Amino acid sequence: MANQSGSVYGLTVLSPVLDDPEAEVSHNVAIRKYLSTLPRDESSPFSKVSSTHMARLVVMEDVVFVGHPAHEEHLKSQYLVFESNFDGDLDTYLTRMAQEIPDAVESVWSHCVGYPGLKNVRAFVAYIKRCQLTTTFYFADVNNKTVQQTLRALQIQSGLARFIELNQGKPPSEIQSAFAEFWNSVETASPLAPGAKGVGELPCFAAGRAAGSEGGD
Amino acid sequence: MMTNINGKAYAMTAITPMKPWKTWIVRAFFFILGHIKPLQKDLVNLSFIHFARWVIIPRHRFPNLENQPKEDLRYDYMLFFSNFNGTWNQYIDAFSAVLSRGLNLIWIWSEKFPGSVPVTPFKQYIARCQFDTDYYYTAYPYATTNDVKAAHRVEDAVTAFAAESKNLPPDEFMRGYQRLLVAVQADLGETGEPPVGT
Amino acid sequence: MSKTAASSFSRLDETDIQGFVLRGYTFPVARYLFLEITDADKAQRLIGSLIDQITTGEHWDQGKPDSTLNIAFTYKGLTKLDLPDATLLSFPVEFFQGMKARAGILCDTGKNASEHWDPIWHEERAHVWLGVYAQSFEILLSRCATLQQAIDSSGGARVIGAQDAGAIVFNGKPSSKEHFGYTDGFGNPDFLGVDRDTQPGQGKLMPDGTWAPLATGELLLGYADEAGELPVAPVPHILANNGTFMVYRKLHQNVKTFRDYLEEKSKIYPGGKEKLAAKFIGRWRDGTPIELSPDRDDHNLARDKQRNVAFTYGGDLDGKRCPVGAHIRRTNPRDAFGFNGGLINRRRITRRGLPYGTYVPEGEPVTDDAEHGIIFMALNASLFRQFEFVQQQWIEYGNDAHQGNDKDMLIGNHGGRGRYMIQGTDDALNPPFMCGGLPNFVELRGGDYFFVPSITALRLIAAGAVDPR
Repeated sequence: MANQSGSVYGLTVLSPVLDDPEAEVSHNVAIRKYLSTLPRDESSPFSKVSSTHMARLVVMEDVVFVGHPAHEEHLKSQYLVFESNFDGDLDTYLTRMAQEIPDAVESVWSHCVGYPGLKNVRAFVAYIKRCQLTTTFYFADVNNKTVQQTLRALQIQSGLARFIELNQGKPPSEIQSAFAEFWNSVETASPLAPGAKGVGELPCFAAGRAAGSEGGD
Repeated sequence: MMTNINGKAYAMTAITPMKPWKTWIVRAFFFILGHIKPLQKDLVNLSFIHFARWVIIPRHRFPNLENQPKEDLRYDYMLFFSNFNGTWNQYIDAFSAVLSRGLNLIWIWSEKFPGSVPVTPFKQYIARCQFDTDYYYTAYPYATTNDVKAAHRVEDAVTAFAAESKNLPPDEFMRGYQRLLVAVQADLGETGEPPVGT
Repeated sequence: MSKTAASSFSRLDETDIQGFVLRGYTFPVARYLFLEITDADKAQRLIGSLIDQITTGEHWDQGKPDSTLNIAFTYKGLTKLDLPDATLLSFPVEFFQGMKARAGILCDTGKNASEHWDPIWHEERAHVWLGVYAQSFEILLSRCATLQQAIDSSGGARVIGAQDAGAIVFNGKPSSKEHFGYTDGFGNPDFLGVDRDTQPGQGKLMPDGTWAPLATGELLLGYADEAGELPVAPVPHILANNGTFMVYRKLHQNVKTFRDYLEEKSKIYPGGKEKLAAKFIGRWRDGTPIELSPDRDDHNLARDKQRNVAFTYGGDLDGKRCPVGAHIRRTNPRDAFGFNGGLINRRRITRRGLPYGTYVPEGEPVTDDAEHGIIFMALNASLFRQFEFVQQQWIEYGNDAHQGNDKDMLIGNHGGRGRYMIQGTDDALNPPFMCGGLPNFVELRGGDYFFVPSITALRLIAAGAVDPR
């Protein structure tokens, strides 16, 4: 399936933007204005739809004229381009968008042609699918790990590097008990919020403790 | 250019026009690429793209709803989306230097494509065809795709070690620990802020 | 030692190119004078009067001169010389901005920030660099005295600072050692058309495993570069051709901190102190590349020009002989990134620097604060694409080497928190070893970007005859 690579789905949507000469603020400008205020970190709506690896929104005003001898032509509508790379299937993802981030969806897509609102989730899903384009070729470097698995792996990587640094040169029994504490910390760590900068610190390293022992090397 | 970047990820969006009769050639090339893994090897080895895709929009197939006027175009369009690590210049320099044949096979069908070598006209063409991103989100802004792959390797290795070493005497634990170090030793780079810049 | 084959390439006009661009002079002492231009016309006449003394790339068939003289200009200096605006605007933006303004890109922050630099760099008054190399300190003083007179009497410029530098005398002879005890001076690239003694391994790697010279345009403006085009250059091209850009950075070395760090880590590194020192940069302190000789130094190998630069990392992708983040591997990855080194060829720089300050032998008391370090000078056709890229992406960052954010162990701007992982094996003398809590071993004390014109360009500048069209 061209839209899928392993367990990751590549969604490409072009939603025509409403064209209303009477509007005080034209719809494409309104979309841009809203997007400029939207947080892009763990407070992003896409952090809530937590299966999202990476997503972007682009207001495409027109096609590009590359120069003579190519011919100049223009689109009759502007399009809101939505590109997302997420875990799981499309229906679940779109349903989550409708149910978990209705404000963001409304603020963006209410400016688009044919947007049915969110009262009927199935109608919203059908609407997006009408605007969906099939991906011709999709490349995903890592296509078999979820967002949550990725964040956890990053946290473990950071923690292990720190552990190694703090325990180098210590006697085996000390390293062994420190490791037990480190691993317990890993296993009981709360999940990380997607979109956050950095992976935070595991509890075993808090307050200058080197995962159970004192001082460093 | 700020919104094209989120942490270590850069969102490039570009559109190029193609004469409709050429579109099927690109589709054929992508079909081959999709089914012959070794052709993808170079892309994987360059290792600075998280996700990338090409989307062909035939000229009659722009989404059209309700009372929206129908598009009347002579060209098909190819949309390109990339989520990559590094600077814009670094990215294009690398492709031009080592993947020019593959790039040409994809883009030579687009109008006025100058070829991916030499690099300056290629960069000018991309700049012309590139849209700035209005909103860009990544779940792991401080990790490149190298960091992500390294992290998965580290997790696998340390999880296995944690299980195997559970009740071992200290000497045996240390031997296992040393083996763990050798397994993860090239994958421990710190993650964090990206370098400044374009 | 082989000379570069010219083959179908027409020879460079070496008399038009400033000498140190093509070859390192290997003189034992040097002084770098920095001038402020005070009057455009008079400064032009001063430059005109010096042109015949400027050392070119001409071969010294009659023997080495007593001393050499070369000249370069900052962007500010070129504006002070009244070059036309259209020409000034055509210089690359990074040169226009100058090195201080590029601090974000270069990571010249914290201890390397400009507030810690020597005073002459604080205001933009260093317009001209004059490089004087000499066979002895007496000759150097005499040459500089003559120059000082000429400058003073010109009324067009004044000397605002001078930096002495010189080869460290080791066992009674000038050596290539630097203050941390490493032997420096390897790895300068080999360019098409540049006639100098070359060694295998200096150029670019070919698919069949041999080495070929890099495109001339990686060093000199006006020639095709490795991407098959002309590097960005100012107009008119007669001003740019045969010229290049120079980076000048005064790198203070915290010798005590380095020696203490090495000493402390050596106590728990089973391979011993010299091996640990070698693992930091990729060469034993006598210059033996650890990629070729991972277990011990080898004086014959270190001195053998056919071998001491001729190696690749393809057989050591895991870093078990030469760690993946070692200094020389970061600055010249060779084939470590795959693609037969194709990603590297446009990132090479030519180094010409010298140490400064008094060398303190190992074992004797040493401080961090004494005036000692390296004057780092690099030449390249594109500051942005070459020096700045290596500094930003390969020294102060590690993603291309798959080392995340980790910085170069030796010269990275660590701020006390850096980490460097030495990959190892299950051999007890070559274990995995982590160097944590890295301090700044090196601190930046100033510098700038300079344009090194050809002799023809100098005449144009001196005559006020630059025409941008």
